[in-house]
Amino acid sequence: MTTPSRDFYEVLGVPRSASQDEIQRAYRKLARTYHPDVNSDPGAEDRFKEISEANDVLSDPETRRRYDAFGPDFRQVPPDMDPETWARIRAGAGAGAGTGRTGPGGFGPGGFGQGGPDLGGINIEDLLGGLFGGRGFGPIRGADQETELELTVEEAFRGGRRSVTLEGPDGRRTLEVKIPAGVTNGQRIRLAGQGGRGSEGAPNGDLYFVARIAPHPRYRVDGRDLYVDLPLAPWEAALGTSVAVETPSGEMKVKVPAGTSSGKRLRLRHRGLPHPRGSAGHLYAEIRIMVPAKLTDEERRLFEQLAATSTFDPRSR
Amino acid sequence: MGYALVLVRRERLSLDAFARATHTHPDLIRRLVTLGLLEADRDAAGELWFAPSQVAALGRVQRLRAGFALNYAAIGLVVDLLDRISDLEEALRSSSR
Repeated sequence: MTTPSRDFYEVLGVPRSASQDEIQRAYRKLARTYHPDVNSDPGAEDRFKEISEANDVLSDPETRRRYDAFGPDFRQVPPDMDPETWARIRAGAGAGAGTGRTGPGGFGPGGFGQGGPDLGGINIEDLLGGLFGGRGFGPIRGADQETELELTVEEAFRGGRRSVTLEGPDGRRTLEVKIPAGVTNGQRIRLAGQGGRGSEGAPNGDLYFVARIAPHPRYRVDGRDLYVDLPLAPWEAALGTSVAVETPSGEMKVKVPAGTSSGKRLRLRHRGLPHPRGSAGHLYAEIRIMVPAKLTDEERRLFEQLAATSTFDPRSR
Repeated sequence: MGYALVLVRRERLSLDAFARATHTHPDLIRRLVTLGLLEADRDAAGELWFAPSQVAALGRVQRLRAGFALNYAAIGLVVDLLDRISDLEEALRSSSR
């Protein structure tokens, strides 16, 4: 079940002494922030529902008066009851009934339909209508929602399944998301019917996961292409060599031609992220020539000999 | 629970089918098309045809109307601005990778 409903004044962020104007202003501001079409975060719908309920109660002076007098249970209180008698009845009924959730429920049918026996069979849903229903608008499809899904380069490469827990109007729910191999940054993965609740039996909106590939210690991602640093010793770069490069699909031998300078990119065709309906991206190994931080006496001697012999000037043009 | 990816089929709905799917009166739908709030194709016989995506578009129009007590002209502006924002956010996302 959901959490107990919050105090309506708290929901709107106004003091209990707030004027109708202040309540209206607070509601309008919050509605503009959390309306499900303005804010596609899956949590926003729940918040908007809460704000709407608080406004429904507090914007009407009569229901507000009853809410002030009787608290969250005000809907169960007979019209001519005075607050002290009600408090006595409640105390007599025992703590259990009094602390139960009495706040208005979910959006659609079944959201809160099974109100506990302490509600006396009153279905709050009927009293309020849904989020957008019950006000002469008829059934309305739920809003689409969007949330970011952070993936590693390896997950984007291989695809797979991921359990994602989201807060929603019915509390937490865990969804298993199928990540297609070769998903790229910003690509949207759609879960049909998992978005905002439709009102009065209208279909739910869709939930979109927007893939975001997290920075990786080794790979940089650009679309489907991957970039990886390939450190070489100066003599390897000068003489040419064959080195192992790690790729998401495993290690690969790469032939570095003689005379390869820093910054040069060696392309490993189609070793980037796969493409479900086309050719895979490439993997580029970027040469970085490294020198030893400390030279042995012998190394120093050889470098000095090279410096004396070589006519190579990397700055000549 | 597992959810597979859903392929969006390229099919179109007639005005009647669209009205039934959205529980909305065809007259209101025609008016929303005239106001540019819904996209529809008109065939040679003058009948309106709707892409399935327009079901969601109509839901948004109705929610905005219910949530903010907006008139339909104002909703047009809001919808355009929301679309521009999401385009910009998308561009921002792809440029910051």
